[in-house]
Amino acid sequence: MSESSKTGKINFRDPKYYENRELSWLRFDLRCLEQARRKENPLLERLNFLSITASNLDEFFMVRVASIQDMAKGGYTKRDIAGMTAEEQLDAILAGAHRFVDLQYSTLNHQIIPGLKEAGIQLVRKEDELTADEKAYLSKYFETEVYPVITPMAVDSSRPFPLILNKSLNLGALLRRRDNTGPGILNRTKKSKKTNAKEKEVLEFATVQVPSVLPRVIVLPSEGAQDPEQPSARVVLLEDVLRGNIGSLFQSYDVVCTAAFRIMRSADMDIDEDEAEDLLKEIEKSLKQRRHGYAIRLEVEDGMDPRLLDILQEELQLQSDEIFRIDGPLDLTFLSKVRKVPGFDRYKEHRYAEPQMVPELPDGCDLFAQIRKGDIFLHHPYETFQPVVDFVSLAASDPDVLAIKQTLYRVSGNSPIIAALARAADRGKQVTVLVELKARFDEENNIGWARMLEKAGCHVIYGLVGLKTHSKITLVVRREEDGIRRYVHLATGNYNDTTAKLYTDVGLMTCKEPFGEDATAVFNMLSGYSEPRSWNRLILAPLWLKDRFKYLIGREEQNALSGEPARIKAKMNSLCDQDIIEALYRASAAGVKIELIVRGICCLKTGIPGVSENITVRSIVGNFLEHSRIFWFENGGVPEIYAGSADWMPRNLDRRVEIVFPLEDPAVKAKAEHILDVELADTEQASILKPDGTYEKVDRRGKEKVNSQLQFCSEAVAAADKARNAVRETRLFVPEEHREES
Amino acid sequence: MAIHTFGAIDVGSYELNLKIFEISRGKGIREVDDLVRRVDLGTDTYTHGKISSNHVREVTQILQEFHRIMDTYRVEAYQAYGTSAIREMTNAEIVLSQWEQKSGIHIDVLSNSEQRFLDYKSVAMRGEKFNKSIQDTCAIVDIGGSSIQISLFEKDKLAATQNMKLGVLRIREMLSHIDVRTGEYERLISDLVNSQMEVFRKLYLHNDRIHNIIIVDDYISALMQARHMDIIHHADFDSFAAESGSVSVTQLARKAGITEDAAGLLHISAVVMGCIADSLGAELIYAPGVTLADGIAYEYAEKKKIILPEHDFEEDIIACAKNISRRYMGSEERSRSIEDIALKIFDATKKAHGMGMRERFLLRMASILHDCGKYISMVNLATCSYDIIMSTEIIGLSHIEREIVANVVKFNHSDFVYYEEQEGTSDLTREAYLTIARLTAILRLSNGIDRTHQQKFSDLHVRTKDDKLLISVPSGIDVTLEKGMFRNRADFFEEVMGIRPVIRQGAVSRK
Repeated sequence: MSESSKTGKINFRDPKYYENRELSWLRFDLRCLEQARRKENPLLERLNFLSITASNLDEFFMVRVASIQDMAKGGYTKRDIAGMTAEEQLDAILAGAHRFVDLQYSTLNHQIIPGLKEAGIQLVRKEDELTADEKAYLSKYFETEVYPVITPMAVDSSRPFPLILNKSLNLGALLRRRDNTGPGILNRTKKSKKTNAKEKEVLEFATVQVPSVLPRVIVLPSEGAQDPEQPSARVVLLEDVLRGNIGSLFQSYDVVCTAAFRIMRSADMDIDEDEAEDLLKEIEKSLKQRRHGYAIRLEVEDGMDPRLLDILQEELQLQSDEIFRIDGPLDLTFLSKVRKVPGFDRYKEHRYAEPQMVPELPDGCDLFAQIRKGDIFLHHPYETFQPVVDFVSLAASDPDVLAIKQTLYRVSGNSPIIAALARAADRGKQVTVLVELKARFDEENNIGWARMLEKAGCHVIYGLVGLKTHSKITLVVRREEDGIRRYVHLATGNYNDTTAKLYTDVGLMTCKEPFGEDATAVFNMLSGYSEPRSWNRLILAPLWLKDRFKYLIGREEQNALSGEPARIKAKMNSLCDQDIIEALYRASAAGVKIELIVRGICCLKTGIPGVSENITVRSIVGNFLEHSRIFWFENGGVPEIYAGSADWMPRNLDRRVEIVFPLEDPAVKAKAEHILDVELADTEQASILKPDGTYEKVDRRGKEKVNSQLQFCSEAVAAADKARNAVRETRLFVPEEHREES
Repeated sequence: MAIHTFGAIDVGSYELNLKIFEISRGKGIREVDDLVRRVDLGTDTYTHGKISSNHVREVTQILQEFHRIMDTYRVEAYQAYGTSAIREMTNAEIVLSQWEQKSGIHIDVLSNSEQRFLDYKSVAMRGEKFNKSIQDTCAIVDIGGSSIQISLFEKDKLAATQNMKLGVLRIREMLSHIDVRTGEYERLISDLVNSQMEVFRKLYLHNDRIHNIIIVDDYISALMQARHMDIIHHADFDSFAAESGSVSVTQLARKAGITEDAAGLLHISAVVMGCIADSLGAELIYAPGVTLADGIAYEYAEKKKIILPEHDFEEDIIACAKNISRRYMGSEERSRSIEDIALKIFDATKKAHGMGMRERFLLRMASILHDCGKYISMVNLATCSYDIIMSTEIIGLSHIEREIVANVVKFNHSDFVYYEEQEGTSDLTREAYLTIARLTAILRLSNGIDRTHQQKFSDLHVRTKDDKLLISVPSGIDVTLEKGMFRNRADFFEEVMGIRPVIRQGAVSRK
């Protein structure tokens, strides 16, 4: 320990000890991009990672960049924990984002597209690369499929600039009227000095949205039979089909130039919940307004005619650094569709097993009886999410079940859980569902679910004013022979059977009374029926959670100071709460060994002498999205371990309803700790945070090769096999004589 | 094992509480749900005498929700009680009927003594810790929105109980009209409490100290429970109370995990409790974390004979009555003699009067308190006795029961006023009035038998034969006065019971 920390003179809140959260986020997306650049990864998985980086960046702009822009525009001068003003952050973000996009497209153009070509998938972008048959096919496709659903819009000084939808892909064009008359668009622009007087008179701007209802990736019909050993496919993008036919949309015009563009608008919603009489209607209104949010980013195809760009820049009121010139197709999320082109499975990842049976829950078992035997720990996606679906589904049809209560944040498109809840209500059970209407980008879905559940007879609640309910909890109240028993499922991930195959999460099924009482109190609180008097086991944000974490970290600090064993191992998605980081710095300075697994944003800096030299941070970006939050505290040799829905972020600790729960059964604790230990030993997918804020791959020298996600897969397979064999053995008929012999 | 699901609703001054219980012989009382909704009815009532229409609507909605929740649990029976805020409403009947109409929940109103008795029962439910606490001198301090009730225990029996109009809502309301400077707030509360505690000490404690305090409230107890410190030393409690005053209400709310409004009341409760603990000289403070709803469930389970009480609550009430009698210089020996005779008559005439154990208990109370008015006036004994009983808190008796006892004592000394002759001042039902008549008949007769106040009839034997009540007294005792005074009392007894009492002197048959 350094002298200064011993004397307590260090200001642990000094901005120099903190990383800006937005720049840290960009580094996370960079780690995803590294997966796309990693040659060891199968080609189609790299493609997928590239697609993910694009959708990540979109969301980042719509939410984070938009809100920082708001602050900058509003003259907000307060500095963030890293000491940056909004203006400074914005400059740094945009510079970083430009570098990032350049790297994305360099990856696409120099690695992915050549790799695809080598694998047999050719992305055809130029018309002259098409065969005559292909041209004919696409022409017909345009006429029958595309043309009926597009609405070209021409703009001149007499017609207003159309509303370009957020995230939509569009083709912009400059048109010249064949009779050389008309008002011309360039009359309305202030930057028309660049153009000559003659053109000013005649050019008009037109735009047409690439229809989102049609697939963006079109697989061209192949000629002759495919060789299964060496498949091939030629694909074109919808915008290129549209571009090839754009002349036919404007009959009396010549098309001077075309280029694709895409804009991003602020998606921040401003809802006054206190004043809102009907939150559902208020959110619907705000969603409509989101379409009109101001533009924050414009992506254009590199080489877009400067006149076209001038028009867009001026109409959308964008600064130069908010314009991204793209060297390739815009919106890389289309790559995930290319991944689905049939015949190329060999280029996908196959080492990861499908979700396995949970050993404690063999097929055909009585779920409630199994929970009564002891707590059940679930580790997805290595173990199947089906027990969670079954939990709700069985409860819906069980005549002894009195009530089902659940929080829903994000659910899948055709959710079996929602169907079960509706069924339960139909059967006269009391079904209370908290549908979080403010779940970002799922607002419309959730409004739909809320209406559907209400119609089915469920008691739908929208949560507490001003707080998002992010907790994942289900309560089943069942009347049994010896009285009412409450079964509780608590989790780190959403009740979404689709993402449960892709996100790593943990869950707990229990019927222990203290958990049941707490779960009941949670729903009473969420439904506004009651304020809890106290909690037995669960720890809830925003009122209690941050203090508890600070206490738990502080306890390790005190233990370290008094010479007792002191250590923290924690896993989360993001770490940016200053109070928590300060507590971690204090603990580290006191000698607590702190090992963190933080997938995304991390505002904590490692390796600062006297401050964070005992802290290590690693990020795992792998085949599955790391999503579970697990917190382990040494507690002087009697470890305590918790899991929950909250990250160590201000939004989770201060502005959301989150639940963190203790894991108590020794077997369950061991499983959860094993997750942390394996991830801390990961040499393949982990990156280590360096003191300068950058990440580097784990130095594998002298270490056993560990791919944590692969290891969990094989462990789940082995455990499921063992459980199946055990069941088989108990059901096996053994002749009496044979038994005697053995 | 039969399991009964029961709902207990407390419509309190500051919050509505629904608790769902499972009650069974095997497992006793188990709480399965606890819902609390804050509605400040107390401030409305204490200030304006009525509940605002907004609050009436709000309570309607809450009761409807409670009804729905009870349905979910398939509750077999429920009991809803309103406490001081409802009690002090001028239009209680109208509002209660409106709530019942709209929510289907019928609410009975508890008198203060009934309410405190239920609170007391809920504490007693805690079993071992309660029993241990009352082994030593002990006080239950029950802090409500409107008032505080202090009940004293001596040798594991309730000895006395006193109400003080110092509830937390009432204090908040009082101080809201005064411009209180920072730091003055605690001093003003202390002054209010200490002045009343001084009187309390003089009345009940003299120089004695109370070793243990059991707190019943909605704020301190919850916080002490949440911090797993249900029993603490007085000094630790002082630190706890100081902590509540050292931070702003916002900080306190955050620390305690409660609303700011509740944090304000927690602070008042802590100051009040600190003053009481100082005044009583308490050493240990125990917060069992019970609420009125627990007592309601206990009462239900007891009534339905699903559980057998470990503690004899009737003996507590009797002990209290004896203390009241002692305070008003009543003769303990004579009371005992009258009680003995009265109970013999009651038991012998069961077939004639058809009354049950609770009425027998009320007769005991009336016997113990039969002459308390003498302390004030020998002439106006009837009225004075009635007034003393009606204005003294007798924890465990309902308002109606107290009125029955007071009337029985009154008519023991004055002419009986028939139900039809009343001037409409009483809200006693015809049935209750009949109980008064029957108990009066028995008490008068007993009082007549022991007319000389010499307790000569310890070997008295009573039995019915045909239409007569034969009261056999031992031979060799001069019963001239008793016989002389007996006639008109016997007439009234015969009028009420249809049996003619007859005194016979001779050998007492012993079976």
